[in-house]
Amino acid sequence: MIVPYSHVIVLAGIVFLMGMFCAVTRRNLIMILLGLEIMLNSGAIAFIGAALRWQLLEGQAIAIFILAIAAAEVSVGLALIVCAYRRKGSVDPGAYN
Amino acid sequence: MMNWIIFSPEFYFLLVSTVFLCLSMMRRIKPEQLYFTALVLASVGVGVCLACVRLTGDLFSGTYRIDLFSQVFKVMLSMGLFLVVCLCTELEGIAKRHHPEFYFLLSACTLAMMMLVSSVHLLTVYVALELSSYSLYTLVFLRKGRDRGVDAGLKYFLIGASASALMLFGFALLYGSIHVAYLVEILKILPKVLNRPVVIIALILLLTGFFFKLAVFPFHFWAPDVYESAANQVTTYIATASKVAAIAILIRIVALAGDGSAYLVHMLVTLSIVTMTIGNLAAVVQKDFKRLLAYSSVAHAGYVLIGILSMSQAGYSSAIFYALSILMMKFTCFLVLVKVSDDGRNLDIEHLAGLHRRSPILAMALMMALFGLAGIPPTIGFTGKLLIFTAAMQKGYFMLVLIAMINVVISLYYYLLVVRAAYLLEPKEQLPELQVPGSIKVLAGLLIFGMVAGGIFPQYIIELSRTAAMTLM
Repeated sequence: MIVPYSHVIVLAGIVFLMGMFCAVTRRNLIMILLGLEIMLNSGAIAFIGAALRWQLLEGQAIAIFILAIAAAEVSVGLALIVCAYRRKGSVDPGAYN
Repeated sequence: MMNWIIFSPEFYFLLVSTVFLCLSMMRRIKPEQLYFTALVLASVGVGVCLACVRLTGDLFSGTYRIDLFSQVFKVMLSMGLFLVVCLCTELEGIAKRHHPEFYFLLSACTLAMMMLVSSVHLLTVYVALELSSYSLYTLVFLRKGRDRGVDAGLKYFLIGASASALMLFGFALLYGSIHVAYLVEILKILPKVLNRPVVIIALILLLTGFFFKLAVFPFHFWAPDVYESAANQVTTYIATASKVAAIAILIRIVALAGDGSAYLVHMLVTLSIVTMTIGNLAAVVQKDFKRLLAYSSVAHAGYVLIGILSMSQAGYSSAIFYALSILMMKFTCFLVLVKVSDDGRNLDIEHLAGLHRRSPILAMALMMALFGLAGIPPTIGFTGKLLIFTAAMQKGYFMLVLIAMINVVISLYYYLLVVRAAYLLEPKEQLPELQVPGSIKVLAGLLIFGMVAGGIFPQYIIELSRTAAMTLM
């Protein structure tokens, strides 16, 4: 493995924090959803790094599953956002109260 | 060649959800027909799960385990589904055209939770947890009326998705540091590496997903809003079946830590104390009956954590017993709630006034369920609390048990307020007698009998949960 595992973990951690920051600070539901997706993808990066570290394919298989689940999450999330937009006329969660 | 017979409960519920998926695409189905179909299918489901209770085996290259522990929980989950379907005679809280989808999502969610309690690999745990969560998010959104459900549904979705992302990152860290993903192998390796900081961080992160499901302290904010805004039947399902599944998977995960490390136990003790205190104190001031039950769920999550953090066989078996008692007691409360609010509206506690005259059997059932939740003998709730506290005392957590006892006293106050509303208060205007169908009366009677019998003769259930807990260690 050319890239050390610790670097991969640091990268995954940074991506995770960026996603979390996006999810917490944005005032737009679609951007919040995007932030959540980035958090999931950082998990996938960490799994692939772990798979390379231990030379096991299991981690990569899990990463593929994560992609599928992230897609499902986006579709459920977008459906809910569309439904909320139709009823409220806004995608700003601050406007919902 | 895999032995597919042991997979039959899941197959059956997959079939049920497919049936409702097809029905949701057909036009003009009467709600009564749908209700009847769902009732028959769900009752057969309980039978299928009961028939499979003694099966054991592994599936999908060992990522999926059928043992007594999982089968006992599958019976509870299918019972939960059946009981919730029993309440769907009117289903006023959900638009008529969404009824087939409602049943589809309920059965898909039950299927996912059954897969969750059988999962013994990080990947299957994650997939099953996500599948069950997505069904629940959509169910909360189905509440009829323009704005109801949207706020709470979005909140539920966003908090849930963040919790599951945290959990996934925890899985990745754990896998990266110990290179196995089978829970059985993690069980062998984890106690040796439990003093490494990264492992502790991974464990804390991955527990968040389950804490969210169970509404434990930092992740309990969704509970009151979701309980209040979801349709009454959906709330019933979230308060009963989904809590049972969450307890099951939390037991499986915490059992991995073996005898436990000091850090983990301290964290769980803190969370348990904060959770039950916040839940009970917030419940005292609630006016809405569903919000009150939401905070009482939070408090009960704290009690269950006491059993789980004891990390002994007695602790785990007491948590299993408590899951069953929560299922019965919470369901009885919601049975009364659904029947009293016949047009699907939310119910304030004062709306229960004069219930003993309007429907004596429902008032009786409510009183027994609330006594059970407060832990008054001779109900099943008392036995559950006794088992949990005994397990904690064996481990020497005296202060924890003392704080829990103080919490029980606090909780007695607001449970008794509800009982007082049902028995002693007079309604402002004269209300007509409630039209309760005979089947519901029989169900309420059976539940009362079950709660009392479970309190007086709990040996069989205790024995069963002890054997189930033994398969974990």
